[in-house]
Order: sequence, then C-alpha cells, then structure tokens
Amino acid sequence: MTLPYLLRLVCLCFACFFLLHLAIGAAVSLLVPAVLRRAGRMRPRQATHVLLAVRLFPPVFSGLVVLALCAPSYLLLEPAATNEEVGWACLAAALLCVASVGLSAYRGWNAARRSAGYVRYCQMVGRQERLPGENAPVWVIEGSAPFLVLAGILRPRLIISRPVVNALPSGQLAAALLHEQAHRLSRDNFKRLLLLLAPDLFPAWRGFVRLEKAWNRFTEWAADDDAVAGDSQRSISLASALVRVARMGACPQTAPLVTSLLADNQDLAERVERLLRETPEAKAAERRPLAGLIGGLASLAALALLTTQPETLSAVHRLLEQLTR
Amino acid sequence: MEALGPLEVSVMEILWSHGDSNVHDVTQKLDRPLAYTTVMTTLDRLYKKGLLQRRKAERAFFYSPRWSRAEWEQKRAGEFVKGFLEAPETSSELLVSYLVDAVGRYDEALLDELERKIRLKRRELRRKA
Repeated sequence: MTLPYLLRLVCLCFACFFLLHLAIGAAVSLLVPAVLRRAGRMRPRQATHVLLAVRLFPPVFSGLVVLALCAPSYLLLEPAATNEEVGWACLAAALLCVASVGLSAYRGWNAARRSAGYVRYCQMVGRQERLPGENAPVWVIEGSAPFLVLAGILRPRLIISRPVVNALPSGQLAAALLHEQAHRLSRDNFKRLLLLLAPDLFPAWRGFVRLEKAWNRFTEWAADDDAVAGDSQRSISLASALVRVARMGACPQTAPLVTSLLADNQDLAERVERLLRETPEAKAAERRPLAGLIGGLASLAALALLTTQPETLSAVHRLLEQLTR
Repeated sequence: MEALGPLEVSVMEILWSHGDSNVHDVTQKLDRPLAYTTVMTTLDRLYKKGLLQRRKAERAFFYSPRWSRAEWEQKRAGEFVKGFLEAPETSSELLVSYLVDAVGRYDEALLDELERKIRLKRRELRRKA
C-alpha cells in the first residue's frame, strides 16, 4: 500500500463526506420548518431529542456511509498499483470538507477550553456552600453580577453569584437550582458541545441556526418542566425567580458551554407565562422517543447489510471512480 | 425620551410595517406567542410615552406610530448624544458601558407585567387551597 494510494483514499473519503453531508444537510434544512412545527406540538424534552437528532443526522449518517461503504469499496476494489490522479472537483470538495470539519472542531475545542477555564476561575475565586434544594455543594461567587449557571461538560458544576443567593427566598432559590440540576441530568452542556462540533454545510456558514436556537429554547422549557415536576407552587416559585433575577440586571456573557438560568432574554416572558399557564408534568411522565431509536437502529442494520453485499461495494466504487475524475 | 425594551421595540416594528393595528392584530404578528393583556399593556405604555396615537373604533383602540421610524431614530439619537455631551464625565468608557448595559437590560414594563401575573396566579392558588 503506497502513500499516493492512501492519500487518494483520504481525499476521496473527505470529498464523499462533504458531498453527502451537503446533500443530506440541504434536504434537512428544507424540512426544518416542518420539524419545528412538529416539535412545537411535542413535550419540550421530546422536542429536544428530536431536534438534536435532526441536527446531528447529516454528519453522523455521512460519516457512517463513508466508513461503511466508501472506504471498504476503495480498499477492496481499487488496485494498489494504479497511477490514477485525483481531479480538481474531488480535491476542492475534500478541501472544503477539511475546512468545514476543521472549523467546527476548532469551535468545539475553543468552547470546551473556555468553559474549563471559566470553571477553574470560579473554583479559584468562589467557595462551596450548601444551599436549600441542592444536595451537592454549590460554588458561590462574591461580586455584583447576578448569575446562576451550570458550567462544565463532563462534570458540570452549579455556580451562583452572592447577589442571587441573597435576593431569592429559599423556595425560589430551590426552584432555580432544580432548573439547573435538570440541565445537568440531561447533559445539556455536552449536547451543546455536540452541536458546536457538528460541521456546517459550508465552512463558516451556519446553516442550522434556526434549529439550534429552537433546541436551546426547548431545552430551557424542558428544564423548567423537570424542575417544576407538576407542582404548581414550585411553578410559581420558578417564575418569580426568573423575574427577580431578570430585574437584577443582565447576566454577563460567560462561556459558550455554560447554561444560564436566564439563557435568552427574548424568551423570558414566554417561559414565565408558560409556567403560570400550565403546570408542567414530572419527568417520569415523559416517554422515550422509541420510534427514533428503532429508526436509527434500522438504518444502521440496513447500512451494515449493504456493506456486506459485493454489488453495493462495486456500485459505490464506480461512483468513486466518477468522483475522482 | 425613555429607552424601549425588546418587546416595545418589536411592537413598534409591527406598527411601523403594518400601520394602524389593534391589540389583536399586534398579538398575531409577534414572532412569539404572548398573552393579549401583555401586548395591551405594552401598547398602552407606548401610548403614554407619546410614541403612539390611538383612536377608538368598533369598541377597540387602534394604535399607530406618532412618528415614522426615521423620525423616531433621529430624535432618539439626537437626544442621546445631547445628553451624553452635556454629562460631566464624557469619557468613551462611560459611553461604551452605557451601551452594554442598555443592550443587556430587560424591559421593565414587561417585568412589571409578569410580576403582576405571578401575583394573580399566587392569589388564585391560595383561594383554591
């Protein structure tokens, strides 16, 4: 196996990923309005699962196809001695893929680094305290800026500023902490990292902003629902906490992988009115998105079945030959 | 001239683009679902601030902007710069910090309205209990 042979393989894999991702991503973009309408009729937690799956589907599926079909067909059917060259179109697609994946990887890495730095800073200047409604100790930061955030990806920590601790009565503080706990239990910061790592359709062109914004909104609603758990008193406490913290002023922009109690000031009224209008039910009442899970497993099984068929691999190889020219 | 919050700006945008509208029309055109009373309070507040004029027809108030968007922006920018230049501390840091603060601030009228609703809901729950 020579170096040009392997370089051609890498180039083809990147080019295939880019083209597949572009095609699937474009199709998904067209479906976004319908998906958002559908998500609006679901429970918020279920909507977050669906929106995350829709956003991650293009890169995951493209990656699987490249790994399961393109690479094996090339390795099995491409003669090692061939002197074939890679065409300009293929090279351009591969370069665009590298740029797109590289940018999203940098974005994710940078966000993770800033988030880790933020946690380290908070641990340095703050101190751990036990607060009502929270079993684990919470990091309390002295200072004037009002904030309550969940920071960190793998082991997220609750960080709260002293003005918020002093301003909120115990019931409201407990409800606000439960909201952040809900973010921690559903690993929302890790999911945010996945969204940052998901490549764009073109380098530096965010094609799924609407979908990601909707995911953010439903994540907040889902955390509200989990925190309230069907208790109307707690629902009012959380609504009061939101308004009280909002009145204290704007939460300073911290790091991209930090979840804040008041994540989006445009959504505040909607969240409060939602909490007052309906007392959201407990998490236990949620149903797992079984259909999505079955669909994903079926797709994987179909892909695995296709991989084992020699006809499929030779058809893919013919397509790769076309792409190389 | 008082600063406008995000909801007040959204309402003004609707009135500038669609003209004469009642509470129901504005509620329908907002990009997020808000209660009728929230929109009504916001329109009333904008009227009291002198940004809107209103007329009564078919038992409902119809609101329209007192100034065009260009006139309003000109007036606002003029007043802001004038106030800034007249202030004793005319440093660039002061200007920047003011802008940052203004961008991040919540709409006070909206917060008042939300608090009123929370009080009502609390009272309703107490009655039920």
